[in-house]
Amino acid sequence: MPVGIVRRDAATTEFFDGTARGELLIRSCACGAFAAPQARTCPACGCELTAWAAAAGTGTVETWSIVHNRKLPPVTVAIVRLDEGPWMQTQLVGDLPDDLRDLRVRVAFEQPQGGEAVPVFGAAG
Amino acid sequence: MNAVIAGLGITEMGKVYGRTAPEFAADAVRLAVDDAGLALADVDGLLTNTGITGDVGLGLQRDLGLRDLRLLSEVQAYGSSAGAMVQYAAMAVMSGMASVVACVFADAPLKEPGAGAGAAYAGLTTTGWRGLAAASGIYSANTMYALAARRHMRTYGTTSEQLGHIAVAQRAWAALNPLAQMRDPITLADHQSSRWIAEPFHLLDCCLVSNGGVAVIVTTADRAADLNQPPVRILGWAQTHPGNDEQLGLVSGAAISGPAALKMAGATIADIDVAELYDCYTFTALLSLEDYGFCAKGEGGPFAASGALGPGGSLAVNTGGGQLSSYYMWGMTPLSEAVVQARGQGGDRQAPRNDLVLVSGNGGLLDHHSTLILSAR
Repeated sequence: MPVGIVRRDAATTEFFDGTARGELLIRSCACGAFAAPQARTCPACGCELTAWAAAAGTGTVETWSIVHNRKLPPVTVAIVRLDEGPWMQTQLVGDLPDDLRDLRVRVAFEQPQGGEAVPVFGAAG
Repeated sequence: MNAVIAGLGITEMGKVYGRTAPEFAADAVRLAVDDAGLALADVDGLLTNTGITGDVGLGLQRDLGLRDLRLLSEVQAYGSSAGAMVQYAAMAVMSGMASVVACVFADAPLKEPGAGAGAAYAGLTTTGWRGLAAASGIYSANTMYALAARRHMRTYGTTSEQLGHIAVAQRAWAALNPLAQMRDPITLADHQSSRWIAEPFHLLDCCLVSNGGVAVIVTTADRAADLNQPPVRILGWAQTHPGNDEQLGLVSGAAISGPAALKMAGATIADIDVAELYDCYTFTALLSLEDYGFCAKGEGGPFAASGALGPGGSLAVNTGGGQLSSYYMWGMTPLSEAVVQARGQGGDRQAPRNDLVLVSGNGGLLDHHSTLILSAR
């Protein structure tokens, strides 16, 4: 199922500039920790997060759900634990095994007409 | 000095159309005041919690014609709000700030026959971070809780059939509850064959959606002594708001708020006769059973499958049918049934022992938790 349309706001400007370049930006702290893109405070040291870093774009499926809708085909969504540590709520695309436990995945980007580029993950080849 | 629940008001519930949430809220407060044997003019405190329609608030004072209130506020901690309101009301009456506090929740998300029942709960946000999740396909509580439940399954081996035992047990209780919306018995096979909503959840893992309102009246034990109903003492209470995703689906705030509330009540989990657990999904009830210590961590599935939870089982849980089968009034569903059980007014569904009743509330994606310990003894 294609991703939906999302528009940027002031908090997501840098992130969507990143996805437009094919980069998955996450938060990076001076203490060395990484945090999810929407995080404002470092989970490790409590500092305010201001810097961004490009994630490698690889991770592991932490949990998943196949969402059913009577009018649309099922869509597989997941929480992916990036290799840097942070979690991403995301959609899984492409050919997937039945059991997604600990599946290794890699980011890709889909950009519907009129919306920002959205990160999705597929099985790492 | 104890604070007590002296009145309970439950409006007509379910697919009730043509009335707004503020109208349900006003009705619920009137019913609760009548139930207590008080007059509206006795109410000097009002706490409101609005549901998804978002329109129950401070205006309820004027809707009810309440003058010179000494406490008035909107409370919002989602499904933990009912417990939170009772806690704030208890503190208010114990301090003397107010003497009779009405706490009310009402909602009217069902608009008309044929409209999608859950439609109001799936409003799409299309900007910013929440818009990003929605665009990715994660826009409903069903999906968020499904992700949490799957994590419990992959960690502890919990199965869909085990979740189904909770749905079956609660429907068996609901069959004994004249207030319940869904009273036809179901089997495990019915659960397994009900359509998928968000795997691992079938339809019968998910709560109802209801129009209606529920209110309780909180006052002091002294004030309640000569009123209509057996006073239900509020012996212990606590909240927990984890603010951390690491334990998503594995441990909830009940693990902290439960022991804290029990300690205040001078009790242990083994003393609890009746547990009214927040059950937006079967899984939420299962996780709460573990976190309160009714069974070991990871053993919620086998515990549910043992038959412990239904009528005649070893632990009286969600004796009205809960939000899965009776009515969906956020934390007022477990709270209202707890008051009924503590008073001994459960009729066919009355638990055999009711000295100590535990009530949980849960909001957000397992983000907000409240516990109450109640007793009419």
